[in-house]
Amino acid sequence: MTLSIIDWLIMLVYFVFVLGIGFALKRYMRTSNDFFLAGRSIPAWVCGLAFISANLGAQEVIGMAASGAKYGINTSHFYWIGAIPAMIFVGIFMMPFYYGSKARSVPEFLRLRFDEKTRAVNAFSFAIMTVLSSGISMYAMALLIQTLGLFRGIIPDQYIFHVSVFLSAIIVLAYIFLGGLTSAIYNEVLQFFLIVAGFAPLVWIGMRNAGGWQGIRHTLPASMTHSWRGMAHANTNTLGVEWIGLSMGLGFVLSFGYWCTDFLVIQRAMAADSETSARKVPLIAAIPKMFFPFLVILPGLIAVSITPHEAPGSPAAILGSPSAASVPGAPPHGIVPQKTDPLSGKPVLDSHGKPVYNYDLAIPVMLLHFFPTGILGLGLTALLASFMSGMAGNVTAFNTVWTYDIYQAYINKRATDAHYLWMGRMATIGGILLSIAAAYAATSFNNIMDALQLVFSFVNAPLFATFLLGMFWKRTTGHGAFTGLLSGTFAALLHHGLTIPADTAPGIHGGWIAVVHHYPSDMAQNFWTAIFAFSVNLIVTIAVSLVTRPRPDHELVGLVYSLTPKPVENHLEWYQKSSTLAFAVLGMLVILNLVFA
Amino acid sequence: MGLDIRLPLGLIFLIIGGIMTVYGFVTRGSEIYSRSLGVNLNLGWGLIMFLFGLGMYAVGRRQKWQDDPVNPRPWERKGTSGH
Repeated sequence: MTLSIIDWLIMLVYFVFVLGIGFALKRYMRTSNDFFLAGRSIPAWVCGLAFISANLGAQEVIGMAASGAKYGINTSHFYWIGAIPAMIFVGIFMMPFYYGSKARSVPEFLRLRFDEKTRAVNAFSFAIMTVLSSGISMYAMALLIQTLGLFRGIIPDQYIFHVSVFLSAIIVLAYIFLGGLTSAIYNEVLQFFLIVAGFAPLVWIGMRNAGGWQGIRHTLPASMTHSWRGMAHANTNTLGVEWIGLSMGLGFVLSFGYWCTDFLVIQRAMAADSETSARKVPLIAAIPKMFFPFLVILPGLIAVSITPHEAPGSPAAILGSPSAASVPGAPPHGIVPQKTDPLSGKPVLDSHGKPVYNYDLAIPVMLLHFFPTGILGLGLTALLASFMSGMAGNVTAFNTVWTYDIYQAYINKRATDAHYLWMGRMATIGGILLSIAAAYAATSFNNIMDALQLVFSFVNAPLFATFLLGMFWKRTTGHGAFTGLLSGTFAALLHHGLTIPADTAPGIHGGWIAVVHHYPSDMAQNFWTAIFAFSVNLIVTIAVSLVTRPRPDHELVGLVYSLTPKPVENHLEWYQKSSTLAFAVLGMLVILNLVFA
Repeated sequence: MGLDIRLPLGLIFLIIGGIMTVYGFVTRGSEIYSRSLGVNLNLGWGLIMFLFGLGMYAVGRRQKWQDDPVNPRPWERKGTSGH
């Protein structure tokens, strides 16, 4: 791929702004509070956009388009079922405790509510996980830049990967080192608008080519264009999950576990300028989030439903033809290229001898297919912006948890604030260096990274039960929470070791103890693992809490629902209240589900 | 923080939108738009981005919330440290 000077210029403008924001904010970073919590001074809408942007990393944009291309519009369940309800819940019910308790991080909230050991489990697992995800994001970005040949002709091919890793690392490091969380949040807002600006015209032009939504429905099988059809049974939909697994596993356990407890997103809401604002942050974020399927999943569907232009301007290019789905038995692939072996350069075939398609390239291929010079620079900027926001989100969450929950808690308890500010900057450097290490580990030990991510999914799966009981049942004790968390993780491990998805061999996919149950897909297995982990944690926490001594009520004010005064909203007009916003969001969610049922 | 995000946000859209508009204007009717089905995406979308940037920048200039005397920010309120 060759880019013109205009494309490079647009990307350059973006990087100048990203770094410029860091420099502009440097002089406001006087205390650790400014650096880690943005001085608790950011308006709700800014935090709200940062809230979704931090989550809109590479895995999200590339992965969701890939799932859209593979499974169809029911991928939007990851947004509509798997995010919005949890975002409403965290805003309305949980934010008063996070923000009002004056905790500076989620692990610190666990220490206030429970005890030191529960915090330690959460702080350490979270810190390792953030570094790892940031590294994987970096790896994915460098790999994509290499695949697209972005720097081809400028630097030798064999250095493209390394240059990409170090360049992205240095830029993210610079703007967080200078401006802390504020810088990350401001850049996430910038990235949010650029991602929308880059992908919206892509969807528009793609839809024109595909003949609109009607054209896509005409080309693709019905199971790909309806989000709820066939959900009654796992074998009748493309995801391979039935509605109970979907709504309980994804919609309840996994989604609430992520949006309500993950410090990466909660940190954005905790930076808001008041408790009222903090409660609105996830609700404001939910509105664009709801429409993101049209920006990131739809390109995947478009990519598989159109055919390549034969010659520029030919009628076939303008009309688009339904031939993509015409090969019987083969999945539609449209303009998505075949996967090739990176070493031999030969196409990869599956066990039945059929070609394997590289759905991860759905969005990049769409960009190259439809965007002429100029706007192509904007599209690539949007893509790079999404990688950066994912990385920066992890790094800011890491430096805060490291400094407050590990360094201050266990290494140096009584240092000056200036020292912790310095430590935060050092942790930023450390976090980036560890991410680079993780990125290189991913290149050589792909399976180890997969296994590590799997282990972290076991750590996270039971987490929501701990927060739910902690916030809404004052009898819950620290011993109960700690034992429950560990048993939940153990249950997840056990469930994974005893079950296996269809068509896979025992090993990393499961069944490494013995196979007692087959799931129709790995997604189903994943959802049910979470359901088991959550239930075991819930039961064990309750049981242990009942036999251990609870903390006196007066210590739990501001931490438990029944002992905390309800947030006062009498001074607000009806349309300013968070509950009004929540009902509006819920209403829109129902409408969207009905339209695409 | 003392920097209103709408100012850099407005500026970056003004600049990128501006570049695209000018480039789109210069390359009217060019062969490169066969990719985008004959639509001059640079001119059209560049103009929209430019206008969005203009709006953001104008609002950011007019309502600098950090100078809003009615609603002091946390670090300006009495009894808070940070200075």
